[in-house]
Amino acid sequence: MYDIKLQGITKKFEAFTAVNDINFTIAKSSVTVLLGPSGCGKTTLMRMIAGLESPTQGRIFFGEHDVTDVPTRRRNIGMVFQYPVIYRGTSVRKNLELPLLSEKLSKAEMDKRIDEVAEILDLQDVLKRQVEELDNGTRQKIAVGREVARQPRIILFDEPITNIDLTSKLELKRSMKELFGRLQQTIVYVTHDQTEAMTLADQIALMQDGVITQCDTPKEIYDKPNSQFAGWFLGNPGMNFVSPQFISVSGSKVTSPLFSQTIELGGKAASAETFGVRAEGISVSTTEIKGAVQAKVTRKSIGAGGQYLLDLAVGSLLVKARVSHSVGRDAVGTVWTTIESENITFFDKSGKTI
Amino acid sequence: MADLALKVSGLSKSYGNKVVLDNLSFTASMNDFSVICGKPGNGKSVLVRTIMGLEPVDAGQIIVRGQDVAKASAGDRNIGYVPQSFALYPHFSVQENIEYPLVLSKASATTRKESLERVSELLRIKDLLGKKPEQLSGGQKQRVAIARGLAKATDVYVLDDPLVGLDFKLRERLIDDLRKTQEELKVSFVYMTSDPLEALSLAKTIMILAHGQIVQQDSLDVVYDSPNSIASMNSLGFPEANILKAELAGSTLSTILGKIKVQTESTASSIVAGIRPEGFIVGKDANSFSCKVSLMENLGSEFAVYFTLNDIDLVTVVSRTDTQALSKLQAASVDISVKPEAVVLFDANSGKRIGQGVSHV
Repeated sequence: MYDIKLQGITKKFEAFTAVNDINFTIAKSSVTVLLGPSGCGKTTLMRMIAGLESPTQGRIFFGEHDVTDVPTRRRNIGMVFQYPVIYRGTSVRKNLELPLLSEKLSKAEMDKRIDEVAEILDLQDVLKRQVEELDNGTRQKIAVGREVARQPRIILFDEPITNIDLTSKLELKRSMKELFGRLQQTIVYVTHDQTEAMTLADQIALMQDGVITQCDTPKEIYDKPNSQFAGWFLGNPGMNFVSPQFISVSGSKVTSPLFSQTIELGGKAASAETFGVRAEGISVSTTEIKGAVQAKVTRKSIGAGGQYLLDLAVGSLLVKARVSHSVGRDAVGTVWTTIESENITFFDKSGKTI
Repeated sequence: MADLALKVSGLSKSYGNKVVLDNLSFTASMNDFSVICGKPGNGKSVLVRTIMGLEPVDAGQIIVRGQDVAKASAGDRNIGYVPQSFALYPHFSVQENIEYPLVLSKASATTRKESLERVSELLRIKDLLGKKPEQLSGGQKQRVAIARGLAKATDVYVLDDPLVGLDFKLRERLIDDLRKTQEELKVSFVYMTSDPLEALSLAKTIMILAHGQIVQQDSLDVVYDSPNSIASMNSLGFPEANILKAELAGSTLSTILGKIKVQTESTASSIVAGIRPEGFIVGKDANSFSCKVSLMENLGSEFAVYFTLNDIDLVTVVSRTDTQALSKLQAASVDISVKPEAVVLFDANSGKRIGQGVSHV
């Protein structure tokens, strides 16, 4: 299997720079998700890896091979798109088999590969069915299975779940996760959906304005965002950011109306412009805690798993806190909040984590 | 009641033999954010169209500010409307798009100017007013469309799933915008959606639409904690509640999760049990079962954990701060038990709530 090395990759469309000087290595046999809002350059970057676009500048390597000028069909890659590509008028088995015919495999090897992907993707029961009879989710599984059965060294996925209906989505996610766990191939997966990214990725490459702003495991990128952008983009809702008016720095110490304690930042304190805290990083009590910060509950809503999301006001400072169902139900009027210092991320003027 | 903005009662609508709205009733108060939540195909669109006057009703009243408008034309109902599809006129600027419905209704120039200022401030689109739709991002277009719907200066607005199809982060922002807008205008929002998370994020009052009826209407907390029917439990909550086959003998309920003592007066012959995802405990105890995890969906602050027991698919939610549970979930099989008080009993035939779990047997 190959790793993918991107060296100084830039792509311009006339005056617009879609991808801006990216230097990045995608480890072999890993699942790397390119994540970001629309227009961040993630699809353009993937299309260059596929050979569907040529970089304006820079080189692309698969292992040691410079593939920058190699056409798509000779790059030995598989591709799965947003809308399932299937061969109509034929069975599921035939769909999986067709690309294998040109590989000059023995019948036994072909059957082995088909049965293997059918098992992982839970397609055994539909192998004999005509593809037209099947829903979009199953068709997408067929498209995935076909690329996997060919055993290319790299498989690229371009938002494969985005246009699938809700019920099939979960099933497809489950199949992908199972598949990615078993495959040895290098996987590059593009999505704007953070849940999909955090669920499927070994590493997430977060993109904004044509550059990769952070690349880390889902846990690292969520717990330790290197910028305000990462803190905001990951999480539902994203991190709370407190504007500079609510933070005061004196020597190496930082205080805020939201802190029950002074925080020692050492030499970094001088560059602390603002800070962020995740909604679940704020502890809330409905009974008084000495020394805790008093806050007013201004709004409540419920989130996944019945947890409450509380809108809290500490004077004119507004934040959201995520609390258990029982605390949330009882939270009315005044509550008492505390934040562990490890849950606070400080940012400098440019929005970078310090 | 003076603060009633909209009262719909006995609303019925059929197409041929197909009953879509079946004697449907609800009320929406002034200065309330009411969300009508139901699965797709439950008559949501028809309900919107009848309220707006785009579709005649077979029977029933639609009382807006005390007046029955069921037979009035759409233009005479004075209800603001944000439709699901947000086609903007491509040759109009953002400002012209927002003003157009007001021009049609012959609003004065002063009124138009005031409305435009109000909604463009609320939805943060002031700097977009001179642009054409093609110059806008998806989220900006949606904000303009919502602004157009809210530009009509009235006190009752119907919003038909306006965030459908938008990505995560955009929705997060617009949800805040919509809540703030309703609070600042102090008007009545009647908001339709089939997305449970959206309903939970927006609603002060929830109405559950199922089988052409509003089966439950109450505050968000009450409907979530005490669903009166399978439809209520199923429509509101994320991930969707687990619904299991169950058998009742006296006050003992048996499911694949074991036996629990329940409180019920019912003698219903066919019973199902509903359990919200948070109704489970990860870890071995006297009442746990060995389960297989099929997917851990990383939602950020928590994981939706999909697991199977005897080939039945179930789901629970584990907070990312619960490191103990998360480490247990790394194993191939994991012990999980149900919290008895989280089990709700329903009559499988009528769908009605008939009791609740009390303790393990």
